[in-house]
Amino acid sequence: MSYKPQYTPGETKIAQNRRNHMDPDFEMKKIRNINDEDIVSVLGHRNPGESYKSVHPPLEEMDFEEDMMKDLVEPIPGAKEGGRTRYIQFADSMYNAPAHPYDRARTYMSRFRGVDTGTLSGRQVIEIRELDLEKISKELLETEFFDPAKTGLRGATVHGHSLRLDENGLMFDALQRYVYNEETNMVSYVKDQVGRPLDTPVEVGEPLDEEHLKEITTIYRSDNVGMREDKEAIEAVLTIHEARTDGGFGLEVFKNDLKAKLGDDK
Amino acid sequence: MEPIKAIDVRIFPHRRLKPGTTEKILNELLDLEGVLRFLVNGESLPKVVGYGPARGTSVNHPDRKIITVKGKEVELLVSVGDIVVTIRHENLEEFVEKTKTILEETLNFGFDVRVGIFTRTKTTVSDNLKVAYGIEEDFDPNMVGLVDPKAKSKETVKLIGD
Repeated sequence: MSYKPQYTPGETKIAQNRRNHMDPDFEMKKIRNINDEDIVSVLGHRNPGESYKSVHPPLEEMDFEEDMMKDLVEPIPGAKEGGRTRYIQFADSMYNAPAHPYDRARTYMSRFRGVDTGTLSGRQVIEIRELDLEKISKELLETEFFDPAKTGLRGATVHGHSLRLDENGLMFDALQRYVYNEETNMVSYVKDQVGRPLDTPVEVGEPLDEEHLKEITTIYRSDNVGMREDKEAIEAVLTIHEARTDGGFGLEVFKNDLKAKLGDDK
Repeated sequence: MEPIKAIDVRIFPHRRLKPGTTEKILNELLDLEGVLRFLVNGESLPKVVGYGPARGTSVNHPDRKIITVKGKEVELLVSVGDIVVTIRHENLEEFVEKTKTILEETLNFGFDVRVGIFTRTKTTVSDNLKVAYGIEEDFDPNMVGLVDPKAKSKETVKLIGD
């Protein structure tokens, strides 16, 4: 690449955190350890120890017409094996969760290959071949992308990102997939991401400290760092907004076009 | 029926309340003078999973519990977000003052107490239809504003005390 990507504008810590998320060279701090098997059971796509189901034979065994693009692009491991496409979906609380849907979309696009991601107001889904999904999930769950209290792993019934937290600081979950243990101060998942009960609970660690979350969050909030405090970010957003509005309506273009038709352009 | 002067007080804690805390607050508020009725509001909690691959399995939400208010058992159907108390107008000032003290002692986070009208005051078409079609017999005018138009009073209203 001949240029250095800037990722996102802004001069506050929020903007810096966003850039850190998006920069594939930036190593996110690992703060917890979760077994591979536990991640597989929370995802709920296959049983731990079960082999991957495939939707087509391995690419090497398949016959293709000659296509230059296939030589240029290296397939990801899951695609080589012909694995299924599966998903992981997160809901992020508005109360200073480390990531948020748009940040996740940009991060996934710049950090991982071969992903399809969908952004909604309260949740963010990532779809990729199952083999690669588990590696990505491990990275997303073990690093500072994830907070057990303010981030939820939710496949269905995601409602809760904009609600008040409960007395222990946990985000609302109608299906109560995760529970807080007041004695050990630990959060553990008792259901998989769609709400099917797990045989053994999966511990995902302690909720992060509220003050620490204020430092690592990517959400502008008036009680932490408001967006209006970030001059550079506001300037960039306004520039894009104006350009889109003018360009979208075609104000200047239309005026000149009309003048030309009226013979008034000389 | 003789009309009385009543007003609502809305208690809005900055966190959603656990069943234990709700029970404690409701019991203490019931001891205050002039209390007519309570409306416990919040995000509803399903009994079984409604959709998705886990459809039909029971949820067992720890917030959907049976609490005891003045000796009567009440099932919480919601994760408690706010409590609206209708009180007699003459007890208003004293009630608000005492409520604030109770909340300060019980909660370790912020709350708002607002005075105003937070429930419906007139019977609606749905209310009248409930009586006209025999969906509910002896519809009590005291319950106007407490019951959701689609819900039955028997299922969502609990009578405590006299």
